[in-house]
Amino acid sequence: MGAEAGDELTLLYQWSGSEEERLNEILKPLVDACGIVLKPESTRDQALLDTKVQAGTPPDVAFWNVAQLVQYEDMLKPMDTLGAHGENYADFFKDPGTVNGKWLGLPVKADIKTIIWYSPVVFEVKGYTVPTTWQELETLVDEMVANGDIPWSMGMESGDATGWTGTDFVQDIMLVQQGPDYVLGLISGDIPFNDAGVKQAWETYGKWATDPIYTIGGAQGTLSTGFLDAIYKVFSDPPEAMMVKQSGFAGGEVASQYPELQYGTDYDFFAVPGAQGLQGGADWLMAFNDSPAVQALIAYLSSTEGGAAWAKASFDLSPNVGAAGNYVDPALVKKGEALATTSGFTPDIGDTIPGGFGSAEFKAISDYVNGADLDAILDSLAAVQAEALQ
Amino acid sequence: MKNRFRDLPVHVVLIGLCLIWLLPTIGLLVTSLRPVQDINESGWWTIFSPPKGHEEYQSLCAPCHGDDGNAISAADLSDPEVVQNYRRSFSLISALERDINGSPHMGDLPVPDEYQAADIAYKLRTLSGIEKRTTFTLNNYIDALTGYRGKSTYREDCEAGTQSLDLYCDFRDLANPRGMGRAFINSLLVAIPSTFLPILFAAFAAYAFSWMEFKGRQWLFALLVGLQVVPLQMTLIPISRLYAQIGLNGTFLGIWLFHTGFGLPYAIYLMRNFLGSLPHEIFESAYLDGASHWTAFYKLAIPLSIPALASLAIFQFLWIWNDLLVALVFLGGQHPVMTYQIGNMVTSLGSGWHLLTAAAFISMALPLLVFFALQRYFVRGMLAGSVKG
Repeated sequence: MGAEAGDELTLLYQWSGSEEERLNEILKPLVDACGIVLKPESTRDQALLDTKVQAGTPPDVAFWNVAQLVQYEDMLKPMDTLGAHGENYADFFKDPGTVNGKWLGLPVKADIKTIIWYSPVVFEVKGYTVPTTWQELETLVDEMVANGDIPWSMGMESGDATGWTGTDFVQDIMLVQQGPDYVLGLISGDIPFNDAGVKQAWETYGKWATDPIYTIGGAQGTLSTGFLDAIYKVFSDPPEAMMVKQSGFAGGEVASQYPELQYGTDYDFFAVPGAQGLQGGADWLMAFNDSPAVQALIAYLSSTEGGAAWAKASFDLSPNVGAAGNYVDPALVKKGEALATTSGFTPDIGDTIPGGFGSAEFKAISDYVNGADLDAILDSLAAVQAEALQ
Repeated sequence: MKNRFRDLPVHVVLIGLCLIWLLPTIGLLVTSLRPVQDINESGWWTIFSPPKGHEEYQSLCAPCHGDDGNAISAADLSDPEVVQNYRRSFSLISALERDINGSPHMGDLPVPDEYQAADIAYKLRTLSGIEKRTTFTLNNYIDALTGYRGKSTYREDCEAGTQSLDLYCDFRDLANPRGMGRAFINSLLVAIPSTFLPILFAAFAAYAFSWMEFKGRQWLFALLVGLQVVPLQMTLIPISRLYAQIGLNGTFLGIWLFHTGFGLPYAIYLMRNFLGSLPHEIFESAYLDGASHWTAFYKLAIPLSIPALASLAIFQFLWIWNDLLVALVFLGGQHPVMTYQIGNMVTSLGSGWHLLTAAAFISMALPLLVFFALQRYFVRGMLAGSVKG
């Protein structure tokens, strides 16, 4: 690749703790082979990235959100000029990373959101079966209520980002009721956010999220329960609720909170029944520099070996086709299969529409759960959407 | 005696206020000493409640299975393999509802409900050793100091030999770049010179402004004091650019210079007020006896201004110790300081805050020490520069 021993590579990412350790594991073969010296920095403060870029000292490589690909379009080096193996990525993973025809972002870490976590043991004891259609899910929910069990744990408190588990849920409902093209239409602006289909999805969500017989604590519980606590409550003993709709990372949280539980018997997940396609998100690698070390990193991560290393490190899913068949964690194996066989993949609406739409959406759903008028909320969201996409 | 009663309401109010201030800190301390699963499951105040499941076990199970669970050898509840099958309330209840030897498992006793069963299951897990949790543990501190980021704890992983590649399982781990141990040293390396340098220069400048006659002295002083209004945040990008050109980004020298620059205006102002208020006569008689400015500075001015120097040092030190912004921008991850490292204890999903509580206390340790050691200078420091009687 031309990278020499001692070449320095500055990285900036939002991962820390055990996530950082997994990344080191993935990059170890590269470091050992080329002798590149990694200079990583970890922060969740986007101001640091902005400060560094404006000061003229951007990191060589940043792992950040899809919105930054647009923000720094003029400064980023296109992936094809850096030796990325584009053939290892499905089009639906390359498209969000392509800005004005230039492929600027390499998706490295993906997670799927359209899944529901539950406890097979509890389901068995209580006589519940995993639903395969949306209709069956609604019947199951009512059956649970009739038995005196609380079906959902929908807590969505998350500091500034309170509401994101709610908007994820709503988007999954749209995938069921309307399908992936509808969601993509919302992202492109072809469908306004106060469309009848959106309203229908919000109302479906609101019915569950605000009523204490459907979710722990009703509206107040939804607003004030932390999203991690909401996961734990389904797997505590005795469980406070039967199901939690949460992204793939929830499994890892259950494993660290309840080490005695086993994946497959004590906790497992099923796809949101009836959903057409999957909702997911990715972290994007973007390069501010085209040094040999950067090229070596990108060539490695986008190669099939890189995808395999990512899968083996159990650091969520890798969009790289090389990851297939290399997952060791059983939950990731199942998630990887779901991702590999999905008919469609839609990114998170709020992450993808630029200009602060995401936080407007979070606030909107919090207001809605809190009892505000839905039509007014959706009208104002449609205005934000129109302004962001004009 | 009478006086004491008169002061009583004041004391009660003061103690009450202190408690309100201290309560969150006590909560944090207790939390930092609890195992991570307990932290996520229940509030810190629950440590005062009796151990979970003990009472239920004693009344429902102990009569047959014995206090230690091993009274019936065919159903030894201290055997992890037996308990493994009944580790949660649901599996336990269904076992209890089944008959053994033709009669109800529980005899005349009622089968426990799911809450009782959950507590009993917890007790069984503890009895059999599946559950290794204790009420208090130092693991959070050890994990934070060594920068351990795995799934269990540093001690367990090291005993099992499954620690990650960057850990040695001996004292060298204190220097792990992801741990609080290393960050503690880095914070000291930042804070000590950044405290010493501005005070040294401020003392020189303050002496000159007080006792040396030169043209434009008042104007220069006014200008320096006026510099206090420059917001630090505004200068981050220009200085970062300048540092990038001369290669100071990510170096200790760079951050020392930055803190010195921003500490000087206030330090000069405070020192000038203090030195200027010393009696003229002392300095004049020194000059008459032939003392140079240098002699007057280090034989008179410095010894007399120890209280001002100390209070200045305390405030400058604490501000730098607690600073995140400047350290993040100019040092970042290359030489992580404590504030930076504390933030990185938590993952992007918000888990791992058991480490954060311990890390917070580790970073609190030194300021507390400084505070108690130099307590008497604090009040003087707060009064320095205010109205003089």
